Amino acid sequence: MRRHNYLLDGIVLSILILVVFLGFIRIKNGFQYSWNWGAIPRFFFRLDESGRIKTNILMQGFLTTVRLSFWSSGAALLIGTLMGILRTRKNLFPRLVGRTYIEIARNTPPLVLIFIFYFFIGNIITSSLGIDEWSRNLSGVGKTVLTIMFSKPERFPAFLSALFTLAVYEGAYVAEIVRGGLESVEAGQFEASYALGFSRFDKYRYIILPQVFRKVLPSLTGQAISTIKDSSIVSIISIRELTFQGMELMASTYLVFEIWITITIMYFILTISLSALASYLERRMIKY
Amino acid sequence: MSKPIIVVRNLNKTFPGPDNKIEISAVKDVNVEIFQGEVVVVRGPSGAGKSTFLRCLNGLENFDSGSVVIDNTPLDHHHKNRLEIRKEVGMVFQSFNLFPHMTVRKNISLAISRVRKKSKEECEITTLDLLEKVGITDKIDSYPSQLSGGQQQRVAIARALAMNPKIMLFDEATSALDPEMISEVLDVMKALAKEGMTMVVVTHEMGFAREAGTRLLFMDNGEIVEDREVRDFFENPIEDRSKAFLSKVL
Repeated sequence: MRRHNYLLDGIVLSILILVVFLGFIRIKNGFQYSWNWGAIPRFFFRLDESGRIKTNILMQGFLTTVRLSFWSSGAALLIGTLMGILRTRKNLFPRLVGRTYIEIARNTPPLVLIFIFYFFIGNIITSSLGIDEWSRNLSGVGKTVLTIMFSKPERFPAFLSALFTLAVYEGAYVAEIVRGGLESVEAGQFEASYALGFSRFDKYRYIILPQVFRKVLPSLTGQAISTIKDSSIVSIISIRELTFQGMELMASTYLVFEIWITITIMYFILTISLSALASYLERRMIKY
Repeated sequence: MSKPIIVVRNLNKTFPGPDNKIEISAVKDVNVEIFQGEVVVVRGPSGAGKSTFLRCLNGLENFDSGSVVIDNTPLDHHHKNRLEIRKEVGMVFQSFNLFPHMTVRKNISLAISRVRKKSKEECEITTLDLLEKVGITDKIDSYPSQLSGGQQQRVAIARALAMNPKIMLFDEATSALDPEMISEVLDVMKALAKEGMTMVVVTHEMGFAREAGTRLLFMDNGEIVEDREVRDFFENPIEDRSKAFLSKVL
């Protein structure tokens, strides 16, 4: 085996550090900005009148982003799996449904989708289904559960359209990932399940999908990370997620750089822990 | 004799050829009746339509015309009939097709619990019985990839038997195996034949045909060119094509 040349690596790395350092000094001298990092922590947690610790604006935004990403990733997985299966069926009709969904959802800007769903679902469907009223008239316990799991009852319809938009948009990508996975499963697996008399549902549930998900887990993780990042666009319909809260805060405090950097780090923490979880799952999965 | 358990009438199956223009006949006007307890060995050169014929018997392959009736149930487009046939006809594949993400135990018991809807205890008992029958009880918690080819195929046979089928189809079950593993699979198949299982076996194993087969179909170009008693076949093949074939392999 060839010996690795650490000296060369060291030189390259030193030059890189030097360049970054010099650049940093230059920017610091030419950049007139008085940093105020001390103001940031209290936007995470604050003390209320009685001295108890309460989450503040950034933390609330962070939690909303977590909830929104969690539910929309879950829904996207569900929609994507179903549509991915339809896309690979032999009959024309299911293929048509799957293909149409994927092409429409994938070829529309998510921002446009958000507006369509917000005005359509937010205004027409949620009120006609009575979700508006239902969420407002919940009992004390119901309200608490709804708030912890989703959002405040009065914002629930908007949250629902945000969730739905993200799920539909990301679901199209999941569908293509699942389709790729399905096509990589050997024909023999389908034939064996057929010959043994499994129902269509059992065939996918027990035999095909477990093999598919094992294969596509890395791609699905990537998609979940995308969902977290894309969730920032729902700030446009006033969902109080991380980006929205940050921008509100900037408007009132003018701590533009501090807050943007903080938000970036918070998104990063979220996505990096998801990656870590996924690679843990990958390692833990039984090898066959 | 009693009523045949498999009745095939005027079976035709074509595949689209290159350019989708020419149709290639895989099975041509096949008529055959198979009775309970028969062990029918299907032989012939590659491309003769043996596997396609076999796959038509449980609906894995849709045929163009003709009819297949299994134990009085017609194999048609009705889901109920198809399901009935799928349950009653076990199949063993050349490439085993075990479920790679499940242990041997789960591979065998899944169909018993999900399709036959048996209780957990019954599943466990049947699984152990079957593994004993194919002689690999010690591998019950192994994954298929940890088994040799011969062991995998024996598990696959156990898995098909788990459904307690009336008929077993073997599609070149030993062709993917190393020579030293062929006999362990053939032994299981012979034992099955002795128990009186109705079997349709596509194979090139002359030893199996001679020892366990009761009847021999010789296929060429999608047609059954010979349909005779096994013993009779070895003693005096009539058709020129099977004669030529026999002289090549014997």
